[in-house]
Amino acid sequence: MPDESFETENENIETDSQNIEMQKYLTFMSNNLVYGIPIENVVEIITNHNITKLPRVPDYVKGIINLRGQIVPIIDMKQRISKECSEKTRGTCIIILNVNDISIGILVDAVSQVINIENKISAPPAKNHEFISGMTNLPDGTVMFCLNCELLVNQK
Amino acid sequence: MNNDSDNMIDMYLYETNSLLEQYEEIMLGAEKAKLFTTDDINEIFRIMHTIKGSSAMMEFDSLTKLAHRVEDLFFIFRNNNSTASLSEPMRKELFDLMFRINDFMRDEVAKIENGEPLSDNIGSFINDINSFIEKLNGNVSEGDSNGKTEKDSGVAAKKEDAAKKLDSDGKIEEYKAKSHFTIKIKFDDGCGMENLRAFMIVNSLTDSIGDKFSFYPEDVEGNPKTSNYIVDNGFFIFLNDEALIDKAVAVIKSSPSVASYEVMPNSDGVKKDSAADKKSTSASTSKSGTISAASSKTALKKKSSQQSSLMQKTKQSIISVNLSKLDSLMAIVGEIVITESMVTASPDLKGLKLDNFTKSARQLRKLTDELQDIAMSIRMVPISGVFNKMKRIVRDMGQNLHKDVRLTIIGEDTELDKTIVDSIGDPLMHIVRNSMDHGIEEDVNERTALGKDPQGEIILEAKHTGSDIIITITDDGAGVDTKKVLEKASRNGILTKPESEYTKKEILALLLVPGFSTNEVVTEYSGRGVGMDVVKQNIEKVGGVVTITSEVGQGTCVTLKIPLTLAIVDGMEVAVGQSIFTIPITNMRQSFKCTQKDIIVDSAGNEIVERMGDFYPIVRLHKLYNIDTDITEVEDGIFIWVEASDKSYCLFVDNLIGEQQVVVKPLPTYLNGFSIKNAGIAGCTILGDGNISIILDILNLHTASVSSL
Repeated sequence: MPDESFETENENIETDSQNIEMQKYLTFMSNNLVYGIPIENVVEIITNHNITKLPRVPDYVKGIINLRGQIVPIIDMKQRISKECSEKTRGTCIIILNVNDISIGILVDAVSQVINIENKISAPPAKNHEFISGMTNLPDGTVMFCLNCELLVNQK
Repeated sequence: MNNDSDNMIDMYLYETNSLLEQYEEIMLGAEKAKLFTTDDINEIFRIMHTIKGSSAMMEFDSLTKLAHRVEDLFFIFRNNNSTASLSEPMRKELFDLMFRINDFMRDEVAKIENGEPLSDNIGSFINDINSFIEKLNGNVSEGDSNGKTEKDSGVAAKKEDAAKKLDSDGKIEEYKAKSHFTIKIKFDDGCGMENLRAFMIVNSLTDSIGDKFSFYPEDVEGNPKTSNYIVDNGFFIFLNDEALIDKAVAVIKSSPSVASYEVMPNSDGVKKDSAADKKSTSASTSKSGTISAASSKTALKKKSSQQSSLMQKTKQSIISVNLSKLDSLMAIVGEIVITESMVTASPDLKGLKLDNFTKSARQLRKLTDELQDIAMSIRMVPISGVFNKMKRIVRDMGQNLHKDVRLTIIGEDTELDKTIVDSIGDPLMHIVRNSMDHGIEEDVNERTALGKDPQGEIILEAKHTGSDIIITITDDGAGVDTKKVLEKASRNGILTKPESEYTKKEILALLLVPGFSTNEVVTEYSGRGVGMDVVKQNIEKVGGVVTITSEVGQGTCVTLKIPLTLAIVDGMEVAVGQSIFTIPITNMRQSFKCTQKDIIVDSAGNEIVERMGDFYPIVRLHKLYNIDTDITEVEDGIFIWVEASDKSYCLFVDNLIGEQQVVVKPLPTYLNGFSIKNAGIAGCTILGDGNISIILDILNLHTASVSSL
């Protein structure tokens, strides 16, 4: 990933925070970490969907689902980020995202809440976090990783 | 009202665009034949005339004026009956001018479509046409044999005009004497082009009540000076039949820019004609026939009535429909097909004996099939429109690059889905440009040295094969130099393995990789490094495949394989483990069971089976796609003998589920990055129970299985 993208990302966020702009994030758990997605990218959250497997795709692509006539690909967040397969638990669900008119579902361990973030979002400390555009502290003290949806959709 | 004028603009755009297309086609044909036939001239005259009329109505002045001048120009040709007398450079100039005007008009129409303001900058065109006409006049009067010159006819027209002005009042009286009613129409002050507006009224009147009327001034169509008369005195329509007045008034009312109209009975006429008054309509037709014969000897008038009767005919059999309506129709038909199988294959019905239900279900199936066929055929349009555009490109590029190339078109009647036709226009253009620019040799000597016809040839061919349409673009040019391609590719850093490992096919495939362009110099037409990869993308968007074959010195052939329609296929559902796949019925030859001893295993471990005297490889779907299934023994599963183009093989699957019509859904865009199409997956579909089935692409599946060995 090129360094410049982080810098520009950073500047944007700084100017944003000067105006104390509130941003809404949906937080979810994956691999015992808290992630956040900008709420405008979230379409809906679904559970218990029958995923049709696709042959010859990377392991993290779980397959496709039929969402009321629309075919949506599903990727496993945990596998995408940490290369570990997630096990199905009670809280497992799919968050349907719409990023630049591309629909995609992400399989996560559990969805937590929608929160307003006004804190300054800092750049991630290391560059090996793919798709992470920044980090921030939540009111309860946990750390949230901000997910960059564009990268998630575009990086293969 | 707003809606109304929107409709009018839509109609105008549709009409003008198709007229311009027609115009271009005639021009191209005429240029090839190096001659305008009388029909051509009349046709162009008619086209320009209609454009002039409708543009004037819509108040697009620049188009009106331009069309008017072109009409003038062709008026001269028509009087001379041919353009054969033109010298070579003159003809070239004429064609260039005509094509430029065509381009300009198209641009303008596009502007109207996008709601942009029109450019008024038509002076240069008018000047060009004027100077051309002058040259032409000089030319013609030099060759006295033609006798009639524009100047002469101009003078004659003027004389006629003067004469008419003198007896115009007399004429009106004469008309009044012959008919029972006069309608006097006044147009809005300063609306301009009164004569054309009047002519539009005449046209619409002809459409609604036939030619049972006459009008004054008679030459509104060809003579702009009549507009002055109309402004001063009004435009007169003379009618005989009282019953037609209401209709005529309705037409006049609905015409734009009409300020007022007045219906006056002609007392004189009634008296004179009182004897003939109660006679049958045939009498009145014959009368008006004589009137029109007497009043308008000009060919113009005849042509216009012919034209309007022609238009009436086409109006009755063809309507234009918004494409989005067809899209939603298609979507609904798709849903009906799915729902139908949901109902008839409902699990609730399992094990029940329902004779009547089955009978009705069959009937329903038949009807939905028919409905689907019709819905599909509505969307089918011939590919000729796209192909004909290529003629122009070949012509223009041939001139600019000084290459003599002929374009041969085969199978232009081939029909395919409207959306597909629209989306292949750009790719085709890229390919033809490439062929012109890179394919055909720069130097004629190069061609003759190889024993080729000095004139280059590009062949555009379209044909059906089962569920696909194959479009090939073949040129007999220099072919692709694989060495150069490799060099270039390595310089651009798009090679993924050592140069020596590339096969010819792979090298040619490099041409389709983004950021590749073989031409060293960027030209007006190609060489920016975009092009072929865009072609590939666009074709893949409609589910097609691009392949290139080429022999050095013999030419290049680009093949586009595109599915006929994206919508619905007949498929066989098969199960492998938990997954369900759909095999298009058109690809299936046979399904059969066999035992282990029928299977031949070669030294590399490939399984082969014999069918009808030939040997076919076996592709185990579960192995190829890594699917967990209990059925791995040949005795437990079933074989399906499939065929696609020249590839034939046997697929091993768990079992058949049944035949079903499925609505093809493209795979989500996100997955395009995984080259899933190359793995043999054409798309997916939603089954009656809501599950997803994956549609197999038998040809690509074969390639995938070969490469996975």
